[in-house]
Amino acid sequence: MRFKLTARDGFSVVELGGDVDLSCSAAAREIILKSLATGLPTLVDLSAVTYIDSSGVASLVEGYQMARRKQLEFSLLNVSEAVLSVLQLAHLDKVFKIHAAPGESPAPA
Amino acid sequence: MTTRTRRSERQGLAVESPALALLEDINRDFASSLNLDETLQRTIDRVMQHLHVEAASIFLHDTGDGSLVCQRCTGPVDITGTRVAAGQGIVGLVVATGQAVMVEDARQHPGFAPHVDERSGFVTRSLLCVPLQTRGERLGALELINRGGEDGPFSAGDLDLASAVAAAAALAIQNVRMVRELLEQERMRKEIELARDIQLSLLPAQDPTLAVAGLNLPARRVSGDFYDFQRRADGMIHFCIADVAGKGMDAALLMTRTLSLLRCLSKTARDPASLLEQINTELYETESRGLFVTLVTGLLDPLTGDLVYANAGHHPPLLRLGRGHFECLPVQAPPLGVLPTLGVPNQRLSLTRGPCYLHTDGVTEARNPAGVALGQSGLLALLDEVDSRPLRERLPAIITALRGEQREFHDDLTLLALAPAIASQPLLSLEFPAEARRLKTVRRELSRVLLAQQLDPKDCEALVVAVNEACMNIMQHAYGEVRDGPISLDLRRVGDRLDVLLVDHAPPVDHQIIGPRDLSDLRPGGLGTHFIQSVVDEWQYGHLADGRGNTLRLCRKLCAGKPEEGADALQTDRQGRLLGGRTGR
Repeated sequence: MRFKLTARDGFSVVELGGDVDLSCSAAAREIILKSLATGLPTLVDLSAVTYIDSSGVASLVEGYQMARRKQLEFSLLNVSEAVLSVLQLAHLDKVFKIHAAPGESPAPA
Repeated sequence: MTTRTRRSERQGLAVESPALALLEDINRDFASSLNLDETLQRTIDRVMQHLHVEAASIFLHDTGDGSLVCQRCTGPVDITGTRVAAGQGIVGLVVATGQAVMVEDARQHPGFAPHVDERSGFVTRSLLCVPLQTRGERLGALELINRGGEDGPFSAGDLDLASAVAAAAALAIQNVRMVRELLEQERMRKEIELARDIQLSLLPAQDPTLAVAGLNLPARRVSGDFYDFQRRADGMIHFCIADVAGKGMDAALLMTRTLSLLRCLSKTARDPASLLEQINTELYETESRGLFVTLVTGLLDPLTGDLVYANAGHHPPLLRLGRGHFECLPVQAPPLGVLPTLGVPNQRLSLTRGPCYLHTDGVTEARNPAGVALGQSGLLALLDEVDSRPLRERLPAIITALRGEQREFHDDLTLLALAPAIASQPLLSLEFPAEARRLKTVRRELSRVLLAQQLDPKDCEALVVAVNEACMNIMQHAYGEVRDGPISLDLRRVGDRLDVLLVDHAPPVDHQIIGPRDLSDLRPGGLGTHFIQSVVDEWQYGHLADGRGNTLRLCRKLCAGKPEEGADALQTDRQGRLLGGRTGR
């Protein structure tokens, strides 16, 4: 898994890439929580994610819950088909805010 | 006429004695007559005439409680059927002590029971009562009342005569009883032979063309075990193996009843689990005196090796995966006839990886001369030993081996073997350590093999998700802290479906703790099992027969074989389509 944390246009952006599975989901969780600690709304860019398993999904759910507690926005960006189908399996595709285009600004929470 | 002729012959040779003649007549009568009751009646009639008594009777034990009942009597009052409690009255006293009583006035005797006289108006005066006894066993007594005529009260000669008559009568009664017992034993033996013949006729004929073989050795003449198999019109083989608690005639009767129910209800039952529910209802509703039945029944597709079965309290089927490597699936319901409902699930096995064996207690409890039972490990070793033989020869070979070890069979012994016509080859066999970083390689290998099969990409994607999540469960829940325990993966294509078997060597896992959670409860974790259940058609947990490992079977039906499949395979919740509910829970 590859990951990057950047600030962009008032958002904290977490870029994840590669396979987000059991071997690295703890790292993914850590970077997402670190992003939320900035106090900025968080965008998780999944465009380069090739595979995500239930532990990776769990990291996203934890980020979502933390954001709610902090009353911060938490959105997913560029969700690939492979990731979307897994989110659908978990019935989470309607829970997360999902944005398709990189330039599209997220709607208020 | 013959008797008289002989007596006159005898009279010509010896001193004539009416008493001896009487005894001779009585003995001859006992020796020649087949009707004991009539002979006893004639005996007391003769004694009555000979001794000029007013009444005579014979009392005998008829039940085990020591009481006496009047079997035969003669005189003015019919007391046949009168019962005297053990030790009561003069009769009871005589039988209890084995000593004769001879009194001039019975009413003066402390043991005299006046109520018979009071009820009948008969007046008892003199009385002679002698025991009927054979070697050590007191059968009853002969009682003579009111010596009449000019002879006065009973004499010592009368006592001798009565004692001689009683001895002859006792011997005759004993003989008749022994003959009756022998006849009864013979009748029972014939009936048990008949029952055995009927039981044997209920067992199916061995058919070498079928993918199934069975064997039954009763511990006694009849058996409480049974097995059955039949080929149905659609080519499927319906089979069962069962063990009724106990091994006598009662167990054999319950066995026959259960088999009849099974054969009858299997014609209409939807699946093995509903068949067992119906049989259970029938057995539960009728009192079976604490007897119960353990039973496995199922359907085998001999072409694909697909097996669907239900198990009510019986030993789990043993599936041979390789030498020393057996899988067994947990038993999920109590025996038949114990509870009003079973709640038994259908369980599934694929026999493409090896044959399946079922057995009853008698096999594992067969003891060697040192008294050590074979046990499951011994049975598994024997199954390995016979594996190279054709299916039909394996079970007799096991018996031969057990006999070679001079094992004694204390219980009925039954074995059933099932094997598909053709074993399939794996598309992929992997063994890897339980480390999260290995998952990527496993997914890549699995995808490569599946895509080479030119399957629908949805099938590939679904199976990769299921295997990945299952491996995660093994790593996190089965091995836990053990970081590099082995996991083996075996992928096969069987007709229109993909079969995966995952085996670990972790301690047995309680699969309840990794069950799917309620998705409306939004929280991280606990999704893996839900993912698996959403993308496969069947899944089933089991464990290795030696208790050192767990198995998980995953099965996905291919999209090509499912025209109703929606746009996205992963979105389709398949649980609603499972036959007979989910397996493996």
